[in-house]
Amino acid sequence: MRGSLNIIVGGVGGQGILSLARVLGEAAVLDGLEALVAETHGLSQRGGSVIVHVRIGENIEAPLIPMGEADIMISMEAMETLRNIGYMRRKGVIVSDTLIIPPSIPGVKPLKLEDIVEAVKSAGLEAHFLSASEEAKKLGDSRVANIILLGYAYRVSHIKDFISPRSLMKSVETLPGRDLNLKALTLYATLD
Amino acid sequence: MSYPEVLGELGSRALMLGNVAVARACLEHGVGFASGYPGTPSSEVIEALAYAASRLGYPYVEWSVNEKVAFEAAYGSAMAGVPSIVTMKHVGLNVASDPLFSSAYTGVEASFLIVSADDPGMWSSQNEQDNRWYGVHAYIPVFEPAGAQEARESTLEALKFSENMKHPVILRSTTRVSHTRAPVTLGALARPRLSGVFTKDVSRWNIVPMHARKLKEELLSRWERMEEMLSENPINTVEGPEDSKILVVGVGLGYRYARESLFKLKALNSVRLLKIVTSIPPPRKLLLRESEGRSAIVVVEEGDPVFETLLKSILYEEDVRVKVYGKASRHLKKSGELKADAVTKALASILGLNYSPETPINPPITPPPRPPVLCPGCPYRSVFYALRRAVKMSKMEAIYSGDIGCYSLGLNPPFNVQDTLIEMGGGIGLANGLAHVVKDKVIVATIGDSTFFHAGLPEIVNSIYNGAPMIVLVLDNGTTAMTGHQPHPGSGRDALGREARKLVIEDVVKGLGVSRVSVANSFNAREVEAKIREAIRDVVYEGETHVVVARGACILDAVRRASSLKVKRPIYIVDSDKCRACGICYKAFNCPAIMPGEDGRVSINASLCVGCGVCEQVCPFNAIRVLEPGDPEWGRILGMEL
Repeated sequence: MRGSLNIIVGGVGGQGILSLARVLGEAAVLDGLEALVAETHGLSQRGGSVIVHVRIGENIEAPLIPMGEADIMISMEAMETLRNIGYMRRKGVIVSDTLIIPPSIPGVKPLKLEDIVEAVKSAGLEAHFLSASEEAKKLGDSRVANIILLGYAYRVSHIKDFISPRSLMKSVETLPGRDLNLKALTLYATLD
Repeated sequence: MSYPEVLGELGSRALMLGNVAVARACLEHGVGFASGYPGTPSSEVIEALAYAASRLGYPYVEWSVNEKVAFEAAYGSAMAGVPSIVTMKHVGLNVASDPLFSSAYTGVEASFLIVSADDPGMWSSQNEQDNRWYGVHAYIPVFEPAGAQEARESTLEALKFSENMKHPVILRSTTRVSHTRAPVTLGALARPRLSGVFTKDVSRWNIVPMHARKLKEELLSRWERMEEMLSENPINTVEGPEDSKILVVGVGLGYRYARESLFKLKALNSVRLLKIVTSIPPPRKLLLRESEGRSAIVVVEEGDPVFETLLKSILYEEDVRVKVYGKASRHLKKSGELKADAVTKALASILGLNYSPETPINPPITPPPRPPVLCPGCPYRSVFYALRRAVKMSKMEAIYSGDIGCYSLGLNPPFNVQDTLIEMGGGIGLANGLAHVVKDKVIVATIGDSTFFHAGLPEIVNSIYNGAPMIVLVLDNGTTAMTGHQPHPGSGRDALGREARKLVIEDVVKGLGVSRVSVANSFNAREVEAKIREAIRDVVYEGETHVVVARGACILDAVRRASSLKVKRPIYIVDSDKCRACGICYKAFNCPAIMPGEDGRVSINASLCVGCGVCEQVCPFNAIRVLEPGDPEWGRILGMEL
């Protein structure tokens, strides 16, 4: 596939966002593509908003995705999905967990899921909300929610035009908890 | 942390952070000595080298007690002819700036690379100082990589240049170079020189004024030679048509933004683009040659307009009249990090090209802010809760002189126990002044364990010597948590994870001459409160400094340790009949794992709760209780006894 793909990976510090982004980057490298994965480290990893910019393909130079130029967003928390929506192209694809984690500030009320979904959909984007964290628990470990979302995003977005299933699986294999992660990936990306 | 990619095979292409690429280059060059102090965004260089050293048996790698010591250690090693590097975040170089200047006077006997990771945008720092000024100020060349692959190449080139010139070199990275992963093609690993020979030479290594005057002259002539050599270094490259009226100069990562913007503006084939890696001293000959016949030059760089200023000075000296655009001309901002859209917009306006950026989607509702918070089970939460109570119960008001670490998060409500936060060690330092001039309040200086060893000791000594009564609250969680759990002198292990001599904070404090010292378990809020109240009495009624060491494991470490030792953690629940919806557990104690329902009565989110058990202590109605008890070892893990 020629061209490039800009992917925003977002969520709350501690959810496995960096691992998800790295899996994408490593799979792209296995396929011989260029890749940039700009991570958030330090303070915000303590339960703050975390956003990783992933860019794969041709003519990618700068680590950060300009506002309005992300093709895909994979988001592990619904309020963060809305927070990062300014990065999205109007024809972009969003894959988001329905999970809502209230910010730990006294007196702050989280948004309601239905309001978030409506706000995202009113922007005219293709948005897929799934309860990945719940599905992950059913699979046996809430920590595989990131790979469930990755698998789902692989199925419904252009990621599959850039990254081969083989490289994606090879990259997921490097994660701790290999078997469950592979199971989650094949199940949600429908790779079999 | 695990960094298998740093040991990747020759010729392979591996996705790695800029910082890991720097570490890889050190292994390829044969660096024999590496030291540093943790600080975002620099920490992974030493971590990756420590990972390599634990497998290869070399190079020598240490986390030093602070940046000054780290610098001096690497400098000493380079004096003795062992290729050496020292790493730190940008503000760390302020701590190390005294030996930095001297190192340029004396030079070194082997490669000496100073890795400074700057943080434009202040993602995890108190300022966005541009450390290239240190290069100008101290006569030390600066190399600036544009990404991970260039981080490897610039590091190799900088180490080689340093070795040839027997002079220190600064490698200036920025957050987006250090913390962006990109594919890097790997070279061969080299066996390092590990043992050195120190050749005595008082006139060189002993910079008393008599020697320093001579060394200054030598430094100036060496600087001229270095300027000459860097002027034609092929690591700086040009592309695009020679006859272009406009020259774009991309410095370090600025090159990447400039190149992508020119591509987007379809101007890559019509504009001359110069990529600068060796920014200090600027490559004079190359710049003059490339300025010839141009009507305008645009400089794109991260941080202050350092290169832009120096370029203008060179053009002025050589009587070249050409308009220079950049940050001084306000086409680009002097604050924050570079952003692709801002660079494209600036270039389009200077080049007279059309550019209409995408209008970002603006949703009708905005989510509430989500600042970072203390983790569920963080020992600092119970200490801050106890601190607030102790001050209140003593009917006192306090000034909370804070410091840098995870505990900086105590600045937020409901705790509000970080009235000041200036720099590493600044908490006790400021308290040394506040205690003398503010007499109607008790001064509480908070400091973490790693920061205590980093910069707290002289400040405590000063408080005793000059009689500045204060409470020093040392938060000991056994690790440098915020930057990624690096060890320190109180951890009992070294950079490679091996057992090391463990310095006990209360013993150190007593050795410094503090007579009032107490220790409390951070997870026992009542005990902490009692000790702080005692400390308040010492300060207020006896004018004595009292050091309270609150000890409790970083909960992230504790949970990991419990899993690896197969220790069962307890499960807590709320008896909703007993809960009176008072809100103490989630408002005053502020645990993120405790959620209020519609009626204000709470429940515990089992997936967030780690079982620290402090909520059970703070609930006034005994509504929180153990559902399933944990193993007894859990308490010992939390208390850092296991």
